[in-house]
Amino acid sequence: MQPNHDDHPHVPGPSLWPVGFAIGIVVLLVGLVVNPWYVGGLGAIIALVFAFLWIRDLTVGTPLAHAPDVPPESPTGPALPANVGEAAMPPVEPGERFPRSKFLELSTIGLGGVIGGLVSVPPLGFMVLPAFLHQGDKPHDLGPLTNFPLNKYVVATFMLDAQQGEVSRRTAFVRYNGDLNGQPSFTIISNHCAHLGCPVQPNGPLDQAHTKHFSDVTLIPTISIAGFGCPCHGGQYDTEGNRVAGPPVRALDRYSYFIKNGHLMLGKPFSVSSVVNTGAQAIIHKWNFSFPGEHVNGIEGWLYPIQPPH
Amino acid sequence: MATDRLVERRRVFQQYKEDVKERGKPFFPYAMWHDTIMSLVVVVTIIALAIVWKYTTPGNHHTTAPGWLGKLYDAPADPGTINFVPRPDWYFYFLFYLLRIFKWPETVVLGTIGIPTICLVLLLAMPFIDVRAERRLLRRPVALVAAFLVVVSMGVLTYKGATAKEALGSELLAHVPKWAKTEGFANNPKATAGAKLFAVSGCLNCHSYNGDGGHNLGAPDLTGEGSKNRGIQFQIAHLKCPACVHPGSPMPSFAGLGQQRLEELATFLESSKGKKK
Amino acid sequence: MATRTRLTRSQQLQQTILYPLDWLEERSGIVGGVKYFLFRKVPGDINWFQTLGSATLTAFLVQALTGSILAMYYKPDAKDAYSSIQNITNHVFAGWLVRGMHRWGASVFIILMFMHMGRVFLFGAYKYPRELNWIIGVLLLAMGLGEGFTGYLLPWDQTAYWATVVGININGTAPFLGPFIAQFLQGGTYINADTLSRFYAIHMLMIPGAIFALIGLHLYLVVRLGVTSPPWSKEAAGTGPLAGPAQNGRARVGMTRPAPRRTGR
Repeated sequence: MQPNHDDHPHVPGPSLWPVGFAIGIVVLLVGLVVNPWYVGGLGAIIALVFAFLWIRDLTVGTPLAHAPDVPPESPTGPALPANVGEAAMPPVEPGERFPRSKFLELSTIGLGGVIGGLVSVPPLGFMVLPAFLHQGDKPHDLGPLTNFPLNKYVVATFMLDAQQGEVSRRTAFVRYNGDLNGQPSFTIISNHCAHLGCPVQPNGPLDQAHTKHFSDVTLIPTISIAGFGCPCHGGQYDTEGNRVAGPPVRALDRYSYFIKNGHLMLGKPFSVSSVVNTGAQAIIHKWNFSFPGEHVNGIEGWLYPIQPPH
Repeated sequence: MATDRLVERRRVFQQYKEDVKERGKPFFPYAMWHDTIMSLVVVVTIIALAIVWKYTTPGNHHTTAPGWLGKLYDAPADPGTINFVPRPDWYFYFLFYLLRIFKWPETVVLGTIGIPTICLVLLLAMPFIDVRAERRLLRRPVALVAAFLVVVSMGVLTYKGATAKEALGSELLAHVPKWAKTEGFANNPKATAGAKLFAVSGCLNCHSYNGDGGHNLGAPDLTGEGSKNRGIQFQIAHLKCPACVHPGSPMPSFAGLGQQRLEELATFLESSKGKKK
Repeated sequence: MATRTRLTRSQQLQQTILYPLDWLEERSGIVGGVKYFLFRKVPGDINWFQTLGSATLTAFLVQALTGSILAMYYKPDAKDAYSSIQNITNHVFAGWLVRGMHRWGASVFIILMFMHMGRVFLFGAYKYPRELNWIIGVLLLAMGLGEGFTGYLLPWDQTAYWATVVGININGTAPFLGPFIAQFLQGGTYINADTLSRFYAIHMLMIPGAIFALIGLHLYLVVRLGVTSPPWSKEAAGTGPLAGPAQNGRARVGMTRPAPRRTGR
């Protein structure tokens, strides 16, 4: 049989299987981040099904139609010398679907691909995935409720994760608003500007003389502030964290909280589009925690439809 | 026709190769000599900059005070600070200032991603945008004008990024003695206390005073506020409720500061008669 | 066997030098390659502006060398990075010099890259057949800026930390993928101890690897495609005292003047 050398290379015909395969890969990758078992599994199944269909398509239809030029070998004919090659291979038996060279070509490339995948996919996973898994911090104890005077912001500096040390230090502006339905109400505002993350300053003098400490938390009360300002690009916020002027794309982020044994416990942060009313009566429009600069509502909110696991 | 152009430029390139082979000079030593001189200049410049950086740092050359070329290093990273204004390295100043130009929330993504990405794509696609074979500068007006505009705009943006100032409370506090001297209230302790309050209460985020502070947010300059002689009571009333005195004013209320501090602020404002000639 | 003639001293010296070179050449071909690179012909009228490319390469090599040496004393851990920088700047012998060269070498490298890019643009040296070289050059520019960005975090002082916060958040504002890019760069929801390691790995290994590879390609293309004369050069225009005769009845054209258009098209 003649070796399968055409004048021009064998180009596969148009087919939709590669599209399906690509979609499967995309769903798999998104699933790895969003929901590994269900969405990722679905993506893997789609990818495998379309890959199987695609490979089947490629291997069917290789030109075997013309009869080989070599005179048919008798079953008891002389043994072929080992170095004669494709032209002296025995003719295609009924039931064989493609020549040996084609099989070798495809399997070399295929195995090469498998090796490449084995070597690169787990390390790529190692590089990319840990940033998205096991995120979120444990609640942090900010100290007894008595440390927070009524209706005054306190600049609280603490370490989110004592094991990580200084690198996890954060600052929040904490204000005790009085009681709402018998429970103490707090406003806890993050000091990362909603524009690009610069540290936000309270617009007012600090009462350094009355600084308190509790474990790793430092609490500096303010005398009175008229809002918050960001020095980087001129963003201004009011006392509830709403954007008043400048480039910030939403209000300042807040932290959730709960009271345990008379101590204020800091919970998970979340993003805020705007706040109506003030203090204990505030109505906070909550959104999933987003990085600075990302709109959460409005038309530009559609630019950031999926948030990675935080 | 396209193939004609293709054939022509291949022919020209072939001719170039032959010309160079015939009449060119060997790279070593003729061109490499120039390259070596230039490399020497580069290396000497780098070393000189390193020496100047270290040896103009005051305090025995190893403090965090800036020398002629800036600081050797800043204070250690404090992720919980409320007192710092970040700056990128100088070659990013043009991008930094671009962010200040796009100061409306809806346009933020244009300044952070939109414009830089468009510029990068234009750069990459340059050889496919300009397909003319002409290389003489005077016959490439679009290229010349574009290059000039790019250089000038990047230069201006970098310069404005370098000279951009902010109203950082701690830095402004350090300016109070200078204000006291220029405005002449150094002998007035109430006015000086008011000046310190003015520096840390974020007033200079919107107002300007003596060259510091924000100039483009619509709030009036207060350097000569006292020369208007509006009186301390007016100032206190305004600080307590700006919108009552000037309807529609976006200035927040400072009533929470308490009567004593409001008096100090008012005294400071009334003592600011404008720069002494 | 023929009698050997007595060699003079200088001939003996030559033989001593040539012998190892010939040994190397026969086994690898590298001497021939170096000779080709060194003695290839370039146009006789090239300009001082065309030294900017090799000046950029020199600046990059300074960065590579000083960076590798700094890595011997720098500790890429959030707890130790700042004190290791203080140590390098204040105590280690010539540490201030190596660190200063690396820090200012970065600025010089970027300035030279922009100047080289401007020179190539104004000379029209990105046109056929050098389009691929231009694209590689723009990628090198982007990677050089990336090196500047990732390296800026390494001293772990206030400037480093906060400039990086803003830089990562700028990346985060990209539509759709922005939040993922930002979280990938940070190594988590916030900058944490992993962030410094990531930036260090990117700055020391990933981007320099790519830059070395692309510079190799860039230089290969320069050697293969040749260096152009400046656009005002008479040589390149096909005129001037050394221009040869007209060919095929048509006026000689060079690399600066497009061929005259055919009439009727």
